[in-house]
Amino acid sequence: MDGIHDLGGKLGYGPVDVNEPEEPFHADYEGRMWAISRTARAPSVTIDWWRHIRELIMAEDYLNRPYFDSWAQTTIASMIDAGVFSIEELESGISQTPPLGQVKVVDYDGVLKQNTGMAFRFDRPVEEPAKFAVGQTVLTNAKGHSGHTRLPEYARAKVGVITHYRGAHVFADDGAKGLENAQHLYTVSFKAIELWGDTANPNDSVSLELWESYLAAN
Amino acid sequence: MPSFDPKKITKIHQHLHSHLPSDPALRVKALETILVEKGMVKSENIDKWVEVYADDIGPKRGAHVVARAWADPDFKARLLADGSKAVDEMGFAGPASGHLKAVENTPESHNVVVCTLCSCYPFAILGMAPNWYKTAAYRSRVVREPRAVLAEFGVELSEDTAVHVWDSTAELRYLVIPERPARTEDMSQDELAKLVTRNSMIGTDRDLKIGSA
Repeated sequence: MDGIHDLGGKLGYGPVDVNEPEEPFHADYEGRMWAISRTARAPSVTIDWWRHIRELIMAEDYLNRPYFDSWAQTTIASMIDAGVFSIEELESGISQTPPLGQVKVVDYDGVLKQNTGMAFRFDRPVEEPAKFAVGQTVLTNAKGHSGHTRLPEYARAKVGVITHYRGAHVFADDGAKGLENAQHLYTVSFKAIELWGDTANPNDSVSLELWESYLAAN
Repeated sequence: MPSFDPKKITKIHQHLHSHLPSDPALRVKALETILVEKGMVKSENIDKWVEVYADDIGPKRGAHVVARAWADPDFKARLLADGSKAVDEMGFAGPASGHLKAVENTPESHNVVVCTLCSCYPFAILGMAPNWYKTAAYRSRVVREPRAVLAEFGVELSEDTAVHVWDSTAELRYLVIPERPARTEDMSQDELAKLVTRNSMIGTDRDLKIGSA
């Protein structure tokens, strides 16, 4: 989707605030939102659907509201969409239905243990052989599509070289539709001058992970 | 079940835009309140998660990974071959460490990490991402003018030093291994870890200083 989230290479932003304090959270609500996102999600929500919901936030909100506010809005929207709670229940703070269960209380070590268990993997076995090999030159798709995709606009219709094969990974574009289809995934390196023209430094490069269907032999 | 229908989500966003309180703290509070009511969240668990990420899980984990890589060539080889396994070995597995890749700076090259499409970050070893990492300014510019962004962070590179930008577009996450400073041969791993800044592991810091910790 050619949305506001696809920021790579867009002009008009900056400078970067390099003097931000180093504390992990700059407000209490940030930590609470992070923690809620670790512990509660709507059933059958995929990471790609969640990301797509965030991409669909109104452009003015996406750019102007604080970062963890966008997480709150994304999680709220995902839960209303999946029927976890209604807008009325959210606004009143009162559930109209009895709870389906109660999560257990965990202590500090319990949280550490749960955290360790969250090193999720996205590689899956597939039968089809990989189409491309390391060292091969590839051309990326010229067009995107209206759904969730991980081929950014700046890397479309560009020629790059495959530097690594990463196995077959759950394909993000389908994940956002609730489907689990694995596709071969490659790290593709693009020269900065290929992406940005002759003003870029000829020594520089940008690498992206790209699924097989984003690529054609060149 | 989710609808997986973007049109439905757009309508929900529009409703939330005009009906939710403007203060983000009140929005998060409303979410926590209804999830507690639904039995899906316990506020004391939320407190504990915040504590864990404030105290235990943060860039000092990544700094220990880097220090060990500097001090122990066998570990460094394992880290470069399979970052996920190597951090698991140190007890540091967690969110976004499932496909971890370490990339090493050299005198001739510099690595810097971004997620232009959202804000992917190796939480398990670096903790919470700094806010600047998630801003439009960083995400838009670091792929296009990395040297200008690095200069804002105080990193000056010669024209000959190659800059490699890693845009985290899938589930791979990157850890930059900065160069080990000179005259640190006698330091223990704990002492070395104190030299490693969070930004150096993202790539917005380069020349680590002895005695800056």
